[in-house]
Formats: sequence, C-alpha cells, structure tokens
Amino acid sequence: MMRIRAIKIAAFLIALVLLALLLWPALEKSSNRREVRYWFVAGVKDNIPPCVQLFNAAQESIRVVSTPIPWNEHEKKVLTAILSGDPPDVVNLVTPVPKWAARKALVALDPAITRDHFDTTRFFPSLWQEMSYRGRTYALPAYTGSYALFYNRRLLREAGLDPDRPPANWQEIQDYSRRLTRRENGRIVRMGFIPQYGTIETPLIIAFEQGARFIDPAGTRVHLTTPEVVSALQWERDFFDLYTVEEVSAFMGGFGYGNQQGFIAEKVALFINDNSFIDQIARYHPELDYGVAMIPAWGEGPSVSSAGSWWLAIPRGAKNREDAWTFMKFVVSRETQLAESMSRDETLFPVNRFAANDSAFLGMHRYMAIFSRQMEQTRSKSIVPLVHDIFWREFSLARERSLRGVMSPEQALGQAERTIQAFLDRALEYDRYVDARMETTGF
Amino acid sequence: MRALNKNTVWGYLFASPWIVGFLLFGLYPILVSFWYSLCQYDVLRIPQYIGLRNYRELLFEDHYFYTAVWNTLFYTLVRTPLVIVGSLLLAMLVSKAVRGVRLFRTIYFIPSIISGVILSVLWMWLLNPEYGLINSTLQFFGLQGPLWLIDPRWSKPAIILMSVWSLGGGRMLVFLAAIQNVPKHFYEAVEMDGGGWWARFRHVTLPFISPVLFLWFIFEIIGSLQVFVEAYVMTKGGPLNSTLFYNLYLYNKAFDDFDMGYASALAWLLFILAGIITLIQFRVSRKWVYYSGGVGK
Repeated sequence: MMRIRAIKIAAFLIALVLLALLLWPALEKSSNRREVRYWFVAGVKDNIPPCVQLFNAAQESIRVVSTPIPWNEHEKKVLTAILSGDPPDVVNLVTPVPKWAARKALVALDPAITRDHFDTTRFFPSLWQEMSYRGRTYALPAYTGSYALFYNRRLLREAGLDPDRPPANWQEIQDYSRRLTRRENGRIVRMGFIPQYGTIETPLIIAFEQGARFIDPAGTRVHLTTPEVVSALQWERDFFDLYTVEEVSAFMGGFGYGNQQGFIAEKVALFINDNSFIDQIARYHPELDYGVAMIPAWGEGPSVSSAGSWWLAIPRGAKNREDAWTFMKFVVSRETQLAESMSRDETLFPVNRFAANDSAFLGMHRYMAIFSRQMEQTRSKSIVPLVHDIFWREFSLARERSLRGVMSPEQALGQAERTIQAFLDRALEYDRYVDARMETTGF
Repeated sequence: MRALNKNTVWGYLFASPWIVGFLLFGLYPILVSFWYSLCQYDVLRIPQYIGLRNYRELLFEDHYFYTAVWNTLFYTLVRTPLVIVGSLLLAMLVSKAVRGVRLFRTIYFIPSIISGVILSVLWMWLLNPEYGLINSTLQFFGLQGPLWLIDPRWSKPAIILMSVWSLGGGRMLVFLAAIQNVPKHFYEAVEMDGGGWWARFRHVTLPFISPVLFLWFIFEIIGSLQVFVEAYVMTKGGPLNSTLFYNLYLYNKAFDDFDMGYASALAWLLFILAGIITLIQFRVSRKWVYYSGGVGK
C-alpha cells in the first residue's frame, strides 16, 4: 500500500517537473518586445554574435533571438525551414544570393531600400553586385574577408631576394618561387608558391585580371575557352614545369592547421589568404617575419582579388519582415560593422567601406590598409549562379586535367564549358517554366 | 468471430505506429521520388514534368554517370570478394581453439565498431604519402609506397583497402558463428575416409556455411553499391573523378545543385541496377548454396 502511494507521488512530481519544463520557454519569452528570429552559421562556439548583443542593448521594442546552425548542414536546414512555411525572419548565409533568389527563396528588398533611402554605396561594389538577381535586390552583405599576398621575409632574405620587394606580378611569382623552392634528397621540403594551396583560385584571379567575363551579360552562355581563361590555366601549367603534380600534392599532404599550416610552418614562402590569417599567425607563430602585399598583377595590369560575403536576407514566408529589415540595417551600419569586426578572435572584414577605412579599423594592424585597398579591386566568385556548384566542380576538374597533362588547357576548358552549358540550359528552361507560374515574394 | 475481429483491430492498432511510419516515411517518399524523377525540381519551386528526359540525359549524355557507374562497379567487384574471402580466412584462423584466440577475435573485431567518418579521417593519415604509417612501413623495407588518395590509379584501391580492414572483423564474427555450427560428425566422416584439411573445408565447411556466405554476398554487393562516406570525407570524388562513386554523384546533384529530379532518376537507376545484380545472384546461388533443411527459397 505504502509503495503504491510512493509511486503515485513520484509520478505526480515527475509530471509537474515535465509541465514546468514545457512551459518554461513560454514564460521566459513573455517580454513585450517583438521578436526577430535570426539564424546564423556558427562554428563550434554557439555564443550570441556581437551585432545581436549590440542590437538588443540598443532596442526597446524589438528583440533578436539568434540561433546558431552548424556549417555542415546549413543549406539544408534553411531549405527545410523555408519549405515548412515557418522560417526564421533573418538568415545569414554565404552561398551565392542568386542561387537562393533564383529559387524564389528570398524576399526582394527593393521597396524597403527605396522607401528608407537606404544608401547602398556604403558597400564595396563587388559585394553589392552579388546581392541582386535579375535587377532585384535580395540581401545585404554582412561581413567578408579581404585577400592579399603574404610573404615570408626571412625566407626571401635567405634566398638572396629583397625582403622589401615582394613579387608584384605572376611572372615574378614563378621566378621567386623557383629560387625559394628547396629539395632534399630529391624531395621537396619547401616551396615558394603553390597555386593550389589556400582557398583562392589562382587561375581565376589571373583570368579576372585580364578581364575575363566567363558568361555573357544575359547570363545564358558560358565562355571558358577565351584567351584570358586559357592563358590562366597555361600559366599554372607552366608553373608546374619544374615539379610534378604528385610530388607537390604529397608535399601538401603534410600540411595541417594551426602551427602545421604551410605558411605558418615556413614550408611555403608566398601565400594568398584573407585578413584573418594575421590573427592566426599571431596565435601560432608570433615571431614569424612576414609582410603583406597586393595580389600579384598580370603583367602591367591591375591587381584583382576575388571576394564573396556573408549576407543577410529575409526568407520567403518570414513573418516579421519589418523588424527583420531594421535589424539588417543595424548590422551594416558603420558603428556595428566596426564593433563586430574588432571584437572577434579572428578579424572579420567590414562590408561597409566607411568602416573598413576608419582609422580605428586600420589601426588594428599595420597591414590592414593593404586589405582595404585590395577590397576595392575585387570580383565576385559567383559566376554562373544558376549552376554555381557545377561551375566550380567543372572548373576545378579542368584545372586538374590540364595540370596532370590529361588534356590541354583548351580541351579541358572546352569540355567544362560544354558540361556547364548543358546544365545551365536545363536550369534556364526550368526557370522560364517556373517564372510563368510562380510569384516572387515582395517585401 | 467477434473476438477475433476485435483482436485483429487491436493488432493493427498496436502496429499502427509502424504502419503509419512506413507509409509516411517509406512508401510515400519512394513513390514521390519516382514522380520527381520525371520532373525538373529544386525543392523550393514547383516541379516541371519533363517525361523521361532525366533518364535520357543520364544514359546518353552525362559522361559522369558512366564514370560513377564504373567506379562503383570496380569498387564492388574488387571489394566484395576481398571482404568475404578475407573475413572467411580470419574466421577459420580464429575458429581454432588456440591459447589467446579470444584476444585475437577482439582485436580483429575492434575496427568494425568505429564510425565511418572517423575511420575515413584516420585512414587519411595512414594513407598520407609523406607521413602516413603505411608508406613509412613500406619505406622501412626499402619500398616506395604509392601516393594512394592523390594518385587516380591508387585512390580506389586505397579506399578498398580501408574498407576491407574495417569490415573484415565484423564479417569474421558472422562466419565464425556459422563455422562453429557445422556438425562435428561430418568432419569425423571425412577423416575416416582419409580426407585432409582441404577436403574438410571443401566438402563440409563450405557447403554448410554457403547460405551465410550467400546472404553476405548480397549484403556486401548492395552495401558496396552504396559506397559514399569514404569518398565524401576523403576525396570528394577526386583525383580526376577516380572516386566519384554513384551515391556521391547523386548527393552532389541533390544537395549541392538542388537538382532533385535528376537525383531521383539516378536513385531509380541504382535501384534497378541493384535489383538486376541481386536477381542474378539468386539464379546463380542455386548452383552453389546448400540448405541442410531442404531447398531454400
């Protein structure tokens, strides 16, 4: 008898606890501020981003609730959220805006931009261009990374090169690299430059610098076999005259992260990376004697970089659009951009030009001015947005084929061009079909 | 009669979570994926019916399709016999009542409890041409190891090697159980007739474990056709598409390109391929599988 009673009491208590747990979030939420649900892609740390903290501190009527989503599955998560009909009010993504806009996943922002006289010249031009698709704007850039050339001054000196005169063009990259590369017992132990190492696509930069367009203005025909692109792949092939792809790949197989990173471990003397690399060097090899220079040019031409940005957008079906827009404007303001950029472990580069050229930001590091200057000269990596991933898979494959001598650069690019075109035609046809039957969501 | 009906109702009611689950998450997606395979569809927009075009483009225009099929068949045809024969040999070894045999059984089994992603990362280091344990060992014996995952000729063998190593132990345990179930008096009969170890294996062990072997042949082949994690983690399909396996290509189409129609068509073609292979196996099995309880069906 006693036992049954005890069980009953225990069951009652458990039920009570469960009920409390269920109701807790509702109780916690019951502030009278309007809520903006914000999803951002996060690494391991799921803390609240500085921009959200600043916004919530400054606001009385709106509160942003941020949710980190893991990088691995972030596209699928946002996709399913939109499909469910109850997406967050703001998302923070990095894959090309047109990839989402073309699929009618985002709300067009133009009415709000016009209404608020929102100044869009604050953004770096190439970043701003990426935000639109077919003449309508769908997102605001949030933050980016600016790429430049890192060079190891000690190794330059050791190779008898002037440490104050980094290579200025791609020809010099080859010459410097030849002198900086070292072998021991026939095996490579150090390289001057490796076109494959890092996240920037060397041939892409070279092609950009020569003015390559890759696609016609209407966005319907892909052009990969142009002299600009062919010569870029040819440059890379010439670079490998002295090495085999296999031995360089094997050499790169020994690179890792942190102090195992190739440039930080002084196994590579010239390396293109973004501004946050400064923080990594400071953490893993503070006494490294290095410099930063503009990305090498093609001959006498301009130095061009490629950049993309993390961006903010309102997904289709979002409920609280007006407050979402208020939050977005707040994030890209000069003050927030400065605070956000400077409060991270690894410096984010502002998308706002005024923030990027602010003395407080430039004062963070002696090389920051170079990154700011480089940022004015960038092109977007979002080249064929409708078939973005196919374009990159094909371009990489063409590079590999040309490098390994399976095909000539022209042949490899020709094959890539045909494949991309075939899938682009498919995508365009589908686009036309949908356009006649589905509306784009307005603000 | 009424009681029976009531029982039936209760039965279905208790089974209903499973039935609903199957209809909703099993049957419905399967049927819908067939419909989508006849469409252009990117999840976010309405599907466009295009008839058999996805299939036509796959079979007659898409050269990656055949690259993927070839890579996957190569993997399947080389890996399956290696896993089966390898684990059978292991099982024979550890079926002997030797001292410390339990320890060996455990050691061989351990790799199969590691998850695929971790295993892949581990093997990326083992296979590292510069610092990897495998090439260092080869170098110790004066041999120059291959570049494994970097070399298009060695990338598939490297992945097969890894999978044989990781799966061998698990399959070993299955075969071990089968071997230990073989009635002892058959061995005695062979010995009386003067048969050696080969005769014992060929005429007793093999026929008795043939149903288990057959089952695992089917499992292994279907499993091999679905190879994905290794390539996704280790090579992303490279170098030169030498590890672009069927499911990796399907994944790229579905989740990178959002081309669900095309991906669905790929899935159905794989289903047909797996079906044909399994059917052939069943046909061939009549010639070599022995069921002690009579002819199995």
